[in-house]
Amino acid sequence: MSVHVETEASRRPSPGGPPGGLAAAQRALAGVLGSSMLRYVVRRILWGIVLLFVVSGLTFLIFYAFPAADPAALRAGRQATPQLIEQIRHSLGLDKPVYDQYWLYMKGLVLHFDLGYSYENNVSVTSQILSRLPATIALTAGAFVVWMLVGIPVGILSAIKRRSVVDRTTMGASLLAISAPVYWLGLIALLLFSQDIGELHFLPGAGSYTPLTSDPTQWFFSLLMPWFVLAAAFAAFYARMVRGNLIDVLGEDYIRTARAKGLSERRVILRHGLRAALTPVVTMAGLDLGVLLGGAILTETVFNIPGVGRYAYDSIINSDLPAIQGTVLFGAFFIIVANIVVDVLYAFLDPRVRY
Amino acid sequence: MLRAFGAAALVGATILVAGCGGSSSSGESESQTAAGISTAPPPTPTACETKGGTLKILSAGDVDHIDPGQGYYSFTYEITRPTQRALLSAKPGTVELQPDLAAGMPQVSKDGKTVTVKIRQGVHFSPPVNREVTSADVKYAIERGFATSVANGYAAAYFGVIQGAPKTAPQFPEPISGIETPDPSTLVFHLTQPEAVFVTALSMPLTAPVPEDYAKQYDDQTLSTYGLHQVASGPYMIKSNAAGSINGVGYKPNRLIDLVRNPNWDSSTDYRLACADEVRFEEGFQDPTVVAKTILSGSADANGDIPPPPAELRSILSSSTESKELFFTPTGGARYIALNTTEPPFDNANARKAVAYVLDRNALRLTRGGAVDGTIATHFIDPSFGDKGFEQAGGTGFNPFPSPDFSGDVTKAKELMKAAGYADGMYTGPQVTVVADNVPPGSDTAKVVAADLAKIGIKSRIISVTHATMYTKYCNVPKNEPNICPNVGWLPDFHEPQAILDVPFNGKNIIPSNNSNWPLLNDPAINAAMDRAEKTLDPSKRYEQWGKIDQQVTETASAIPWLWEDYPTLFSSRVVPALMVDNEGAPDVDFMSVR
Amino acid sequence: MALLEIEDLRVHFNTRDGVVRAVDGVSLTLDRHETLGIVGESGSGKSVTALTVMGLTRLPNAVVEGRVLLDGVDLLALPLHELRRIRGSRVAMVFQDPMSSLHPLYKVGWQIVEAIRAHGDVPKDVARRRAVQALADVGIPSPAERMDSYPHELSGGMRQRAMIAMALVLDPDVLIADEPTTALDVTVQAQILDVIRRLQAERGAAVALITHDLGVVAETADQLAVMYAGRVVERGPLATVLDAPEHPYTWGLLQSIPRLEAGPQRLQPIAGTPPSLIHVPSGCSFHPRCPYAFALCPEIVPPLVLSQPGHDVACHLPPAKRQAIGRRLRSEDDASGGLAAG
Repeated sequence: MSVHVETEASRRPSPGGPPGGLAAAQRALAGVLGSSMLRYVVRRILWGIVLLFVVSGLTFLIFYAFPAADPAALRAGRQATPQLIEQIRHSLGLDKPVYDQYWLYMKGLVLHFDLGYSYENNVSVTSQILSRLPATIALTAGAFVVWMLVGIPVGILSAIKRRSVVDRTTMGASLLAISAPVYWLGLIALLLFSQDIGELHFLPGAGSYTPLTSDPTQWFFSLLMPWFVLAAAFAAFYARMVRGNLIDVLGEDYIRTARAKGLSERRVILRHGLRAALTPVVTMAGLDLGVLLGGAILTETVFNIPGVGRYAYDSIINSDLPAIQGTVLFGAFFIIVANIVVDVLYAFLDPRVRY
Repeated sequence: MLRAFGAAALVGATILVAGCGGSSSSGESESQTAAGISTAPPPTPTACETKGGTLKILSAGDVDHIDPGQGYYSFTYEITRPTQRALLSAKPGTVELQPDLAAGMPQVSKDGKTVTVKIRQGVHFSPPVNREVTSADVKYAIERGFATSVANGYAAAYFGVIQGAPKTAPQFPEPISGIETPDPSTLVFHLTQPEAVFVTALSMPLTAPVPEDYAKQYDDQTLSTYGLHQVASGPYMIKSNAAGSINGVGYKPNRLIDLVRNPNWDSSTDYRLACADEVRFEEGFQDPTVVAKTILSGSADANGDIPPPPAELRSILSSSTESKELFFTPTGGARYIALNTTEPPFDNANARKAVAYVLDRNALRLTRGGAVDGTIATHFIDPSFGDKGFEQAGGTGFNPFPSPDFSGDVTKAKELMKAAGYADGMYTGPQVTVVADNVPPGSDTAKVVAADLAKIGIKSRIISVTHATMYTKYCNVPKNEPNICPNVGWLPDFHEPQAILDVPFNGKNIIPSNNSNWPLLNDPAINAAMDRAEKTLDPSKRYEQWGKIDQQVTETASAIPWLWEDYPTLFSSRVVPALMVDNEGAPDVDFMSVR
Repeated sequence: MALLEIEDLRVHFNTRDGVVRAVDGVSLTLDRHETLGIVGESGSGKSVTALTVMGLTRLPNAVVEGRVLLDGVDLLALPLHELRRIRGSRVAMVFQDPMSSLHPLYKVGWQIVEAIRAHGDVPKDVARRRAVQALADVGIPSPAERMDSYPHELSGGMRQRAMIAMALVLDPDVLIADEPTTALDVTVQAQILDVIRRLQAERGAAVALITHDLGVVAETADQLAVMYAGRVVERGPLATVLDAPEHPYTWGLLQSIPRLEAGPQRLQPIAGTPPSLIHVPSGCSFHPRCPYAFALCPEIVPPLVLSQPGHDVACHLPPAKRQAIGRRLRSEDDASGGLAAG
């Protein structure tokens, strides 16, 4: 769980001035990364924090500007008097001006990592998100592995055997996979393969997710269908991307040079061609991973996986602002981290890039 | 109970033969809503077929509140009924009340202002409280409902009549002088005036005992956290840790509510069977077809809040084995189209009556699945009330705005438009605003209304929002209210006609926000009739009065009822079915057992 | 027998627009210690000829006919896996733009080491030492540090030297340099040509130097071949072809070179535009632009035949006439300041 990526800016200051531990960490990092890279990373992290503030502010504003349901009224119940609603509004702090509420919220967040309490059931938002994070991470990481393992080789094969039957089949299949709505694909998968309601009783059905720590076997099998369903469109997209990139790269002059050196065709394609073609793919994959960690809502819904995405959806339906804020911030956080990681990775992968 | 309409959402359209129906309140006789569809409940088991095992109930959403003193939603009652013993509960298979925590039915004084209830002996709280339940626990349970830290939605409505009940809600629970506990097993209520439904209201979960010494620390916070630390008095409890916390143990919000046996429950004190050792309410299942198929496959035992869609219902009804597990229960309420009587054009009675004539009830019912979804309503008190007001209102025979096959009568509608002042019988004014659900079936219902209105020249502007927004920002706020709120309805808290008609149609209940009198009906004659009926203690006189009021309200055409809904409950063949007739057919885990 | 003999090479590409006759009957020879300059404008077929020698035109839509004999072995008939053994080790190629021809993501040293280890089981440290030596041989300062540079970290001249180092590291018999200086500064060009010349002298390789720039070949070539529209139109010792050219195209090329010493002058380009390789003009492909064309020219393709000792020309004009015209043009040139100096 990436909360461990504590930035220098967000660490609590130790008593007695700037901590010595900070300087030591900086030196260590500088050794590994090179100091201009380090400056770049620090700069990005600081901007990332600014961005998180902006995101949280925007979410606050949107919630107030657009007609969402009234949380005080929802909380108060059907036959509550207007006076009771106002009293609840007051005790939830909802009658304060927007900036006041925002200030209180940010104070709690920055000082205590406290994301507030759900309007819906008064449970701590942080604890809800943290308890649901493992499911989302499991779903996302597994799907990532599947789509990379399927998409990249298919893309390579299609690029090499361009315009052949193999190529046309894989590209046609990829179009189908990209066009199929995830929810529909998930339902089809359940109605075909799930042990309780499917035609072929292979795999555990919807709602069968159990945490890795309680039952690893069940955890694995309950995630197989969701992994493939979520990975389908991505695998197809990545196959097409790899194919396109590789075809472009194989037309470059340095490929001609590699052949002129007498290298085997396999080495030319993989070491020279793929190496260049994969750089943008890797960065794209990092970004996709970051977005998905914010919650793959549709997949989590159709398979009833208790992840963060599902939590986000439920909180929107219930107009539960603290939960909405929390999930949006988490999603933004992962995207920002993914962006930074991917940019740093790009510098490692492509030496022409300099910060 | 309002939420029930929102949750029973994902029913599409099918074509089935329309029919008519009526049922007696005991539910023992066969009743038909359509050719072959019965609303008879399964026979209530009198013994457990097997003791032990785990029941699994699937649902889409969560309870509205986990605190039994806040719960006000039919799905929530599926959890409070087995874990919390209110003073009274419905006799299984009926809507009649019997003593639950009470030792006997309450005694009401002649002037109706004193109600005495005896508390049963030998009922204990679950761990970590463990001790015996006393009358003081019921007193505290009711008092806490008035505080904003708990904020029970019906406390003021039904118990506000108790002497000393606060007029402005205190922040934390405060004693109410009108609730007396002369001894640990006696409870006396002193009312400021007689209230016909007071005794019936003692079946609400607010009257389930709450130990003050244990709960006070939680209730004395801005928002009480007692719900996450609650103790039970029934055969089951929500699984908790040693300190009594259920959060993350037996209660995982939007994921799971896990009931286990209350070790301190004494079966000799209770009418409940409590056969299974564990009941798991697994939440988050959004797709109704998947839920229905899972139950049919035996991997789950019943649907909690998500009914099978019409396609599944059709296929189940056509199978002789599967149809044995499917039951339809009248929800007790009606769906209706509310017209804002304070703004033109619907401030004119004739214009409203024209709408009542032009609406095609069949098309409306089709948006929710057709005949399988219920009976076309002609007034507000539903057939399940039987002689508690339904018959007195004229039963199915009372239909002030008839049309051939319920499909609407454009000619008659035009006549009434003429009477309203529109020369050709076609509306000539500006667009009317309609605020509706943004997803089916609510959005489909709104479209049918708009199409029918167009037949008399009324153009509609439909504003589509989420269900919750529709209520809390528009339809429940009189100054924001549009001309038409087509997706409203009202379910009774209990089977008393007052619970159907008072809040939605009494002028005194119009409030500036959270208003449920959507037509903003404020007819002095009707208001006065309701006030009288609310104090009529004699049941048969009372039902007579309410029957008449139902007719009067219907005739104002300020809201046009179109469906008396039946709720489908599907059980797996693995279990003996049992459902709550008084709670829209929700599965009754106190009586279900594994076969 | 010459080291490299190209016999009547034809390379046609089938495209949607038609058949592109990129190389249409080219015959050339190359010997050790010898530099053959191949000159022509773009589209003359010189690069395709070079690529075909390396076997880099074996594409699905290419038709290759003729023979390319390396020490008597026909490279065009060799199966790919054997051809690969020859590429880089016996015949090597240097390309025009070293920025795009070197892999941008691998270090220069790594790329040279890779070339070495592709042709034999050479241990990494040995290969590395050889690579450092190769960089030193082409005149790159601090070669051991330069091994760890990426191509974009080097200047244009350094990059080209590195390319040459990579091509020559395995001591090939034949080096084909396709426009090796075109992408470089004029000042650097001379240095690169120096490197090639020096290494050739040291190792005795045969060099084919392909360019459109007569100035380049004038410095370095021993033999010169002029190509037009996929065919060789004139061929012979450098001095002969430059001092006494006998083909109207060569005349045009020499006349169109601007001269530094001559003061302000009017450039004399060759009239007309380069021909389409799909719709090649009939007969002599130069005839639409030739001031001396006559009735026979559009009819028959002129064969490349001996005109003077060692000097072949493909033109229908009788040799005597050609030589006369050539002399006349030279004297006109001398009058206006000197033709193709040196």
